[in-house]
Amino acid sequence: MRWYVVRRVAWAVVATFLILSITWGLLAITPNPAAEQMQFQAAASGGSAEAAEEAFEARRGLDRSPWDRYREYMINMATLNWGWSQSRSQSVTDAIASALPYTAIYSIPTTILSILLGLSIGLYSATHQYTKTDYAATFFAFFGYAIPNFWFGIILLLVFGVQLGWFPVVFDSDVPIFGLGMVQQLVLPVVVLVTGTIAGIMRYSRAEALEYVEAEFVKTARAKGADGYRILTRHILRPAAVPLMTILVGDILGIFLAASYLVEVVFGIPGLGQLSYNAIIAQDTSLVLGTTLIFTFVSVVGNLIQDVAYTILDPRIDYGDR
Amino acid sequence: MEATTMPDVQGQYVSASSVDAQSLNWLTIADSTSGSYITATLDGTWAVKPNREIFPLWADYETDDGRVYEIQLRENLEWGAGYGQMTAEDWVYMIKNVFQAQPNWSGYPNSGDWFRVNPESGEREPIPVEQTGTRTFEIRLFEVDPAFPFKPVLWRQQCIPKGILEKYVPNKDTEGLKQDEELNTLAYTGNLGPYTYETWERSARYTITRNEDYYLTEVDAVPERFRNAPYFSQSTTRVIKEESTRLGALESGEVDAAGIPPDKATRFENLSNVDVNVTPQPFVRNIVYNMRANGWTPFRSKTVRQALAFAVDKETIVENILRGYGQVAQTMQPRWSDWYDDSRVTEFGVGDRYGPEKTRSRLESALSDTEYAYDGDRLVNGAGEQVTLSIYYDSGQPTEGTMAEFIAREFDENAGIAVQPQAVSSSTFQSNYVQTSAPDGADPEWTAGTFNGGPRDVATSAEPWDMSVNLQFNTYPFTPASSKGFFEQRGGINYYGYYPDEDIGALYEEATATTDESRRRELFGEAFGLISEEQPFSFLAMPSSVTGYATDVQGYDQKFNAGWDSQTWYFR
Repeated sequence: MRWYVVRRVAWAVVATFLILSITWGLLAITPNPAAEQMQFQAAASGGSAEAAEEAFEARRGLDRSPWDRYREYMINMATLNWGWSQSRSQSVTDAIASALPYTAIYSIPTTILSILLGLSIGLYSATHQYTKTDYAATFFAFFGYAIPNFWFGIILLLVFGVQLGWFPVVFDSDVPIFGLGMVQQLVLPVVVLVTGTIAGIMRYSRAEALEYVEAEFVKTARAKGADGYRILTRHILRPAAVPLMTILVGDILGIFLAASYLVEVVFGIPGLGQLSYNAIIAQDTSLVLGTTLIFTFVSVVGNLIQDVAYTILDPRIDYGDR
Repeated sequence: MEATTMPDVQGQYVSASSVDAQSLNWLTIADSTSGSYITATLDGTWAVKPNREIFPLWADYETDDGRVYEIQLRENLEWGAGYGQMTAEDWVYMIKNVFQAQPNWSGYPNSGDWFRVNPESGEREPIPVEQTGTRTFEIRLFEVDPAFPFKPVLWRQQCIPKGILEKYVPNKDTEGLKQDEELNTLAYTGNLGPYTYETWERSARYTITRNEDYYLTEVDAVPERFRNAPYFSQSTTRVIKEESTRLGALESGEVDAAGIPPDKATRFENLSNVDVNVTPQPFVRNIVYNMRANGWTPFRSKTVRQALAFAVDKETIVENILRGYGQVAQTMQPRWSDWYDDSRVTEFGVGDRYGPEKTRSRLESALSDTEYAYDGDRLVNGAGEQVTLSIYYDSGQPTEGTMAEFIAREFDENAGIAVQPQAVSSSTFQSNYVQTSAPDGADPEWTAGTFNGGPRDVATSAEPWDMSVNLQFNTYPFTPASSKGFFEQRGGINYYGYYPDEDIGALYEEATATTDESRRRELFGEAFGLISEEQPFSFLAMPSSVTGYATDVQGYDQKFNAGWDSQTWYFR
């Protein structure tokens, strides 16, 4: 097991290096719209497009050879000196550190609520299959899954923010994080995200639980007089938890990664979703690589945790000498 | 407001912006949002009033001949962070070591403004700048340019203390200059602007507070309303990318000002808590014809372009597509500009100079010596097939899409030409349609840069196109000579391959070189008259800028460049 983990971590380093290199390469070969726009503006006002291009390259450090730039970025990544964000005029670590809390304050409640509600409704549906409540839960799940987040968000804002005035229209980053004001302004984004993510967990847990609802050992437990709650949690959820772990670990990691660009844009939340998307659009190489590194790291570690979790939930699983 | 009671200093003014700034270090930026953040804390040299009159802020100027300009700084300008008084030495050091540095080590985006062609050498050289006193310096142009004070080179030009620049100039330390903390937190602004920097939360909000020491309040020769400016205790810009959210925030009163798209303006005009302010802006919407080898070659004929100008109803564009928030365009100046001469401008696409009969008869005549002719209502080529042209528009701009659809319908109904609208992203349009170059191996007779890679028979864009409405062009109502490159065969922006019949460039040059204001008006009037007659592109409309303000915000007006005195706006 120990060797397995060590080798997985070593592969993670190689995978991260490859992902960063590919990301850097894609950014390097993509034409920069901002540079083209500046050239056009310079030419349109009687200036020199070439001088505008040179100035842009000097500001962005693009006047050096690609190899020099690549080497510098990679050394920066390895030494955790992630450089300067050109599109935000601050260090990359400051940029990520300032955006992460805003993502966390909506993604933590979203993730917790999605898992709790999704699992609960899924298990309930499994044990009450083809009843009216099962159909209602299925309808709710597919409604949330089908409705586009950005559109749902705008509708909620217009109804509950503008017309009824129950919630603020724009997210205010000045409101204390632990306060009623913050709760109030997070209600709508969390509702939008929970309705969007709950369907997957609910349908998956329902399907997994259904495999065990009529299993022999469940019937035996029921015959021995076990109550419904005990059957559900001990005899159905326990075996269903192993395949469910595939989706649950991903969702728990979503606390850090579930930054939703669209929801952040609609509600004006300055989180990681906006940060990483804007960095790509602005071709802010340092910031793109910094956010890529974080996402890659969390994904790789997440997969590892998932594999380890299998062995804890089901001791029969053993990686042995692999 | 003057000669009445002064407004109270009060409240927090909150405006909404769809994009955030990129930096507060103005040496490294070229975007307007960053510029507006910084200008609130650093006034710059002077403002230009809507009537094209200079309003001195930090400085005034004197010139005897329109060639040598002496810049005179006010006495009471103080830097912050212990850098003392602003002097001419700060300016000259910055201009020579940063703006005019060769190579442009700092990446200053406007460095090109500080170089001009020296007629004696025929080379582009740095404009000579000399300190003449503690608070005065001279800019000695190579040639007369009476519009120089109105150009961005000095209009609202800002400065940085020599003490900061000295840390980076000797080693040409680009990274150091870019990341300097004093520059990035506007720590040096002292009493030089109406507000001082408070906080900037990226992608969320930018907050500035009233500058109690604002230098302009001590100046005698300014209108009374500047005496206690600014009148907002605090000003915040909130970054709200999504339009619906931005407008919702305006409607609910969470912000005091936000831009409004024309199709939503009527709704806001009916709200009791919002006033809608409509101001002219300098951009013109055109149908640009591709006259290069990969476009429709009949566009090269002036008479064809004139005939097609009868095909599109400009008043319908203004009334129905822009919802009345705009003006019909006929040339490269707005009608309200000082340089627009009604008597010289030839109008198209309005009144009785619009319609199918007028278009077809003129087009038939203009194409009489070509393979094209009318077959019933359709314009057909030599093979008897209807002429089909493409028109491109920006896929992210719904108004442009509607305009392209309308033009397609008008061309079909009035000219018998089938037009196929094509959506394309702005960056793709720039790289595949606007950039032109000669094919590999070809050696063009001349080249004028990225957007005009040579003669139109040789240099073309990567992709073929016939017409486009993608780009709006700035008409420069304060400095009309800036649009010269659009109307010259070898103009740096002439990506569409226009060869003027008349020497419009010579008129521009003559107008630029004369200091006699009435003569300049005459020459520019003639130039813009010729442009309207030649129809290098089909001028359609000039959309207005529509902004919604909370009803208690006062002080703005409805003229072009209305924000020049925004430090005097106040809450009722």
